[in-house]
Amino acid sequence: MKKTPAFITCSSLLIMAVLGACSKSDNSGNKLVITGSSTVAPLAVEIGKRFESLHPGIRVNVQTGGSSRGIADARSGLADIGMASRSLKDSENDLHAFTIAHDGICIILHQANIVNALSDEQVVAIYKGTIKNWKEVGGPDAPITVVNKSEGRATLDLFLHYFKIKNTDIHPDVVIGDNEQGIKTVAGNPDAIGYVSIGTAEYDATHDIPIKLLPVNAVPATLENVGNGSFPLSRPLNLVTKAVPTGLAKEFIDFARSKQVHDLVKEQYFVPLSK
Amino acid sequence: MAETSSLTFRPAPAGLADTVATVVVWLIALIVTAVFVWILGDIIWHGIGQISWSFLTEPPRNAGREGGIGPIIVSTLLILGVCIAVAMPLGVGTAILLAEFTSSDNLFGRLVRRSLDVLAGVPSIVFGLFGNAFFCVYLGMGFSILSGGLTLACMTLPILIRSTEEGFRSVPNEYRMGAAALGMSRTSALIHLLLPAAAPGLLVGMVLGMGRSIAETAALIFTSGYVDRMPQSLHDSGRSLSIHIFDLSMNVAGGDANAYASALVLIVILLIVNSIASWTSDRWLHKRIISL
Repeated sequence: MKKTPAFITCSSLLIMAVLGACSKSDNSGNKLVITGSSTVAPLAVEIGKRFESLHPGIRVNVQTGGSSRGIADARSGLADIGMASRSLKDSENDLHAFTIAHDGICIILHQANIVNALSDEQVVAIYKGTIKNWKEVGGPDAPITVVNKSEGRATLDLFLHYFKIKNTDIHPDVVIGDNEQGIKTVAGNPDAIGYVSIGTAEYDATHDIPIKLLPVNAVPATLENVGNGSFPLSRPLNLVTKAVPTGLAKEFIDFARSKQVHDLVKEQYFVPLSK
Repeated sequence: MAETSSLTFRPAPAGLADTVATVVVWLIALIVTAVFVWILGDIIWHGIGQISWSFLTEPPRNAGREGGIGPIIVSTLLILGVCIAVAMPLGVGTAILLAEFTSSDNLFGRLVRRSLDVLAGVPSIVFGLFGNAFFCVYLGMGFSILSGGLTLACMTLPILIRSTEEGFRSVPNEYRMGAAALGMSRTSALIHLLLPAAAPGLLVGMVLGMGRSIAETAALIFTSGYVDRMPQSLHDSGRSLSIHIFDLSMNVAGGDANAYASALVLIVILLIVNSIASWTSDRWLHKRIISL
């Protein structure tokens, strides 16, 4: 009998505590919320940690989810700063973008695939489904597994833009999200073709993952070529704000664009700003 | 619980069909076990080398490729704690209502049960989006451990309620009649007799629910978030182990070793939490029914 009140009290206290907690919202004076591109997120986390260590009491909270989300959250005010791994589109002119690093996208194949180069036309034909077998491009007699990125991913946008394909024309066999997932999909399937961030692909290719990076338009896919601007399929990694940044957001963006973070940019396999 | 049967099933002399059936059944069982052992072995093989005291206590460095998972373990346990603290009372309460206060063909009960079954089948990303829209944005909790735990509570409630309800329904009606004959009030019969007797169902629901929540990625990435700092309060965003593993294996080049180690830690935590749950139910609830 004596346990009855305790049980009920406990439950109601818990529920009340939760309801009470609901009404209390965070104070945003010393907190910076950054959301968006999963490609930029690990870099932003590291920059945020260094920023926090230089500014005691400040918190930089980084959330992931894709470039579209970064744009949407920056616009709606849910985030102080959005992350987008592409340039802004015409419809996004109301926002301000600040480039913090560069990255390139390359086509990857399994290492066992004898194809060593594909022309832009061949890539388009493969992704549109007019070329369905590797033997049509000088490879083995095997059907091509087309790996595409999911909607809302900046890599997809850049890929479609460069090759001038509409996403609805692509009939992918596999749809992937993040970079490493794309690499693992191709590494596990000798007949697959995919496209991912060069930095990640270069790292994996030199760490015994069976993939190879194809040149685009005869330019080898390396971070060096992204850095010197000769690689055609490259993209800026941007921080995005709704208004001209002030205060903490401005401080963070200036910091993220400064030389103080170049080592962090390189650690995440991206290309730092040249000046 | 104590209804062990001394009867064993003795098969007739086996014909060919029987032998085939036996072999097939054994094969299937072996395959299932082999898959489990393979997964576990793979994780232990790749992960055990990274495990050390500093790995378990230090914060991650260089996007998780280096450093440990200390803050992430804390966040995971906090999220799980919020989830259980909210789901348990609500779940047990609803289960009691369904099992003890409505008959099985009651319209309201059927409606609740049907909606719970539908909810149980909803993909977790839908709960994630709901949690983000409701807890994070509408209630203004932002990305926080609280939002994550509450979202998980919504997700585990259907499983918890349905299995606890089954637990109550499997309690023989004689218990209720006996309690009534002894003049026990309905409430005290419920708390001292039916709840302990229904504990196995509750336990199954808890274990399944916790297993589902601790492994959850989709529902948490939009609610509890991605921040890998040591949480100061439930209002802080905190990355769960499952999200950390997902990020390390799918987004961070060179994060595989620590992803394996984190997966191993996740499995060990799950085992510990499950053992605690079954130990508590055995020692605490079961003793009470005997001492009564």
